[in-house]
Amino acid sequence: MTKSKEHIELISQWFRENNWKAHSFQKKAWKYQLEGYSGIVNAPTGSGKTYSVLLPVFASHIENKGTPNGLQLIWISPIRALAKEIKISAEKAIDAYDLSWRVEIRTGDTTTIGRQKQISNPPQILITTPESLHIIMTSKKSKKIFETCHTVVVDEWHELIGSKRGVQTELFLSYMRSINEGLMVWGISATIGNLPEAMDVLLGSNNNDKKILIKAKIKKKILVKTIMPDEIERYPWAGHLGILLLEKVIPIIKSSQSTLIFTNTRGQCEIWYQKLLEFDPSLAGIMAMHHGSISKDMRAWVEEALYTGKLKAVVCTSSLDLGVDFRPVETIVQVGSPKGVARFVQRAGRSGHRPGATSKIYFLPTNSLELLESSALRKAIEESRIEDRTPFVRSWDVLIQYMMTRAVGGGFQAEKLYRELIKTFSYSSMTEEEWSLLLNYILYGSQSLKAYDEYHKIGKTKDGTYLVNNKGVAQRHRLSIGTIVSDAMLQLKFVRGKKIGSVEEWFVAQFSPGDHFWFAGMSLEYVRIKDNFLEVRKSKKKSGRIPSYMGGRLSFTSQMSDVIKEKLYEYGKGKIKDIEMKKLVPLFDMQELRSRMPREEEILIEYFHSNEGYHLLMYPLEGRNVHEGMAALLGQRLSRILPISFSLAYNDFGFELLSDKRIDVDKLLNKSLFDPKNLEQDIQASINSVEIAQRKFRDIACISGLIFTGYPGKEKRQKHLTSNSRLIFDVFREYEPENLLYQQTYEEVMAVELKEDRIYSALERIQNKKIIITKPDKYTPFSFPLMVDRLREKMSSESLLERIEKMKVELVK
Amino acid sequence: MEEIILKGEKLKLLPEKAIFWEKKSALLMADLHLGKVSHFRKYGIALPPQSEDKNWQVLSRLIRKWKPQKVIILGDLFHSKYNDQWENFVAMTDRYSELEWILVKGNHDVLRERHYHRSNLTIYPYALKMPPFLLTHEPDEVFDGLYTLCGHIHPGILMKGKGKQRLKLPCFFLGPEIGILPAFGVFTGLHLLQPEEDDQIFLIADQQVVAI
Repeated sequence: MTKSKEHIELISQWFRENNWKAHSFQKKAWKYQLEGYSGIVNAPTGSGKTYSVLLPVFASHIENKGTPNGLQLIWISPIRALAKEIKISAEKAIDAYDLSWRVEIRTGDTTTIGRQKQISNPPQILITTPESLHIIMTSKKSKKIFETCHTVVVDEWHELIGSKRGVQTELFLSYMRSINEGLMVWGISATIGNLPEAMDVLLGSNNNDKKILIKAKIKKKILVKTIMPDEIERYPWAGHLGILLLEKVIPIIKSSQSTLIFTNTRGQCEIWYQKLLEFDPSLAGIMAMHHGSISKDMRAWVEEALYTGKLKAVVCTSSLDLGVDFRPVETIVQVGSPKGVARFVQRAGRSGHRPGATSKIYFLPTNSLELLESSALRKAIEESRIEDRTPFVRSWDVLIQYMMTRAVGGGFQAEKLYRELIKTFSYSSMTEEEWSLLLNYILYGSQSLKAYDEYHKIGKTKDGTYLVNNKGVAQRHRLSIGTIVSDAMLQLKFVRGKKIGSVEEWFVAQFSPGDHFWFAGMSLEYVRIKDNFLEVRKSKKKSGRIPSYMGGRLSFTSQMSDVIKEKLYEYGKGKIKDIEMKKLVPLFDMQELRSRMPREEEILIEYFHSNEGYHLLMYPLEGRNVHEGMAALLGQRLSRILPISFSLAYNDFGFELLSDKRIDVDKLLNKSLFDPKNLEQDIQASINSVEIAQRKFRDIACISGLIFTGYPGKEKRQKHLTSNSRLIFDVFREYEPENLLYQQTYEEVMAVELKEDRIYSALERIQNKKIIITKPDKYTPFSFPLMVDRLREKMSSESLLERIEKMKVELVK
Repeated sequence: MEEIILKGEKLKLLPEKAIFWEKKSALLMADLHLGKVSHFRKYGIALPPQSEDKNWQVLSRLIRKWKPQKVIILGDLFHSKYNDQWENFVAMTDRYSELEWILVKGNHDVLRERHYHRSNLTIYPYALKMPPFLLTHEPDEVFDGLYTLCGHIHPGILMKGKGKQRLKLPCFFLGPEIGILPAFGVFTGLHLLQPEEDDQIFLIADQQVVAI
């Protein structure tokens, strides 16, 4: 027997002792890992994926029972809540093999003393987050801690890959490879559309001869049901709440052990919780609420109660998308559009945890057109059309943060670091010129070599090491590590003591002391703001506002919009079969009567006048963010023909250009307006005026250290160093537009926000379609939701002075 | 440029965010926040260093164009602690030493005395009476019978138009008893104000001053 076979035998033995049957994907993973491979294991949750990559780490130590010195395995988990479960699993195995390894967790919650101990005496297994690893890297001892570690597992890699935390992970791995050549890296991922790419991102241009993608052949059954409005004619055409169907949720809750009710925003979550209680007071005490603004303690309580089966229902947001499995959960209700197939599948998967059990999910449409989605989602699930997770590339903000991290943690040599970086997926295309601009930027505070002022952050020693020696700089940097940028928040607490959560500053700004609002299902009275706390007391008032939150402006994914289109075209083909679609027929008929139900070979435009102005609506069915770009593009191209100002609105179905001037649509709207040629140029020209880039810049400014958010817990914030990202953006635009961070903003807007490639293919499709322009005398089922959407952008080709001339009147009113 | 009569005095509102008071040959400006960019840079926040230059360019252009005898700064001349941008200011007051340089101190003006001494500045800690005006930094300084001209607020106006257009612009905000100048400096924000019936607003847009 070869060594690796012996080891597999040792592992399997333990499985047999427990009466567990090893899945074939587990055996495969053990074999390859024992042979020194790296790769990805693709398996659904609850299928034993943890043991598929964990056990081989112990294998060579089982015989001699020795405890190796120093760190052996780093387990990166993006979700703090999962760390405990991993630790329990690891310790179970350690006990079984009679080893004496230590397993420790390190997250932002770990105490200072605990962290120091982990550095002076590291455990054999460390379970942690990408952020925490970067913080360890700022310690001068980090090399000593990390160099004994031979395996890194990246759990839930699908969650990380599409975010800058994924880039952070890549950077950490590249550092690890630089100090430990034989490093093995294993990712664990749920199914995503681009698994092979996910492996390339994880491994970079390393392990080329020893990498493998292992797929578990376990498919989970999902049952999708729709909560139907009784009469489609009476169900609203617009809206996102869905309260009208609330009474149909009660029997669902009653008939299953535990139900999770997913809402799309925290505000919606609050309302649903309140309304459910009002409708059925017997739910008091057995129903709870869970969202990201609620304090950690309260969330932990809810999770615990859910785990132990004490709760009948929890109204929640994406805050419960991930994390530990709650076995008592039998049923899921999704209120409103999930916007993507993967998200819907993920949520469905939160139910039915027994092996072989079916996940059951109810879709509750919040407006009539959303019924379409239920039918579309079912189709997408049947055909396994799961979205890609696109990795971030060339994120200079994350790289600048990392360069600082390395400079603080003992320094780096430019040449050597460059060679490490170009082996990563994200920075593989970085040129030497770009690299030297970045070096200038961190050294001189400017890409050009003009070190004429007092800028200081980083030094360069005689031997060419980039190093931070200033304790203040190092400290400020440690506090700014991370890539998740949130709005400025205020902690919410009762006057006497307990913290109950947090709310955005801009939200609080709308209130004054004495006002009432709802939060976490409680009516609260605003007492005062003290330091960084909003102090409140409980109130008996029934009326009050629900905190509203930014974010939650999700867009249809391309999988979602494709399948929606297919469903919608069924009308023209006369092939309507699903009950949801049948229910929608009267609505489609009305659309056809007042305007047109677009056929596959058509693209629909509606044009009409109201007292708001002239409405031009177009329905490419490509998803909100694609429409945002298309609207800007069309506006830009139209305004090149004639001086005109538009305000723009968009949703997942289409977009609207509203103007106070009439245009000759039959003459002007032809295919040349939708020519994919010069797309990038024209969009760039238009986004300048719609300020998307300005919004986007805040994240980049925070990650790259241009905005310092302050010391946690410090009562006085660093007022003299705070500034708003718009101002910073403006000075870059005017004085240093060639700056890589400024350029990155536009690249991110194009790729991430506007989905340039999707706009491009949408325009190409339009070229092959017939443009149908209708002039309805009334709003249509398609136009109505867009017209009530209040999220609008402006764009204009009129000069500023012309616009002000027009605006005056409104101001005086 | 917009010429107005305020309390019987002819004032020119300049798009460079300053006022020229011809009769007194005085150039009035507020909230220059000189050295702000350098201050950030000193703490390792890498803003474009060239942005600081614009303040100097505009300031010297105004002096050359209007040839004032007095430059009166209504507070927040310098952003924070000393940095080398102060030397530029000292050099400027030297270059135009025939002018009377006046500073009415603002909350940001916290340099040590010795730095102020090296410049050509005459300093008023709270206010300067130049009837019919009282020149101050913050708007809460009032004096019987005088109209307060001040800064501090960084006034801005939100304009709304048809089709839900929105536009934020800096402005001169002239109320019945107090007039607020826009912030002169480049790296300064806007604080939005809501005008009342008897407020006069002059927006700055496209290098022009526009009455609304």
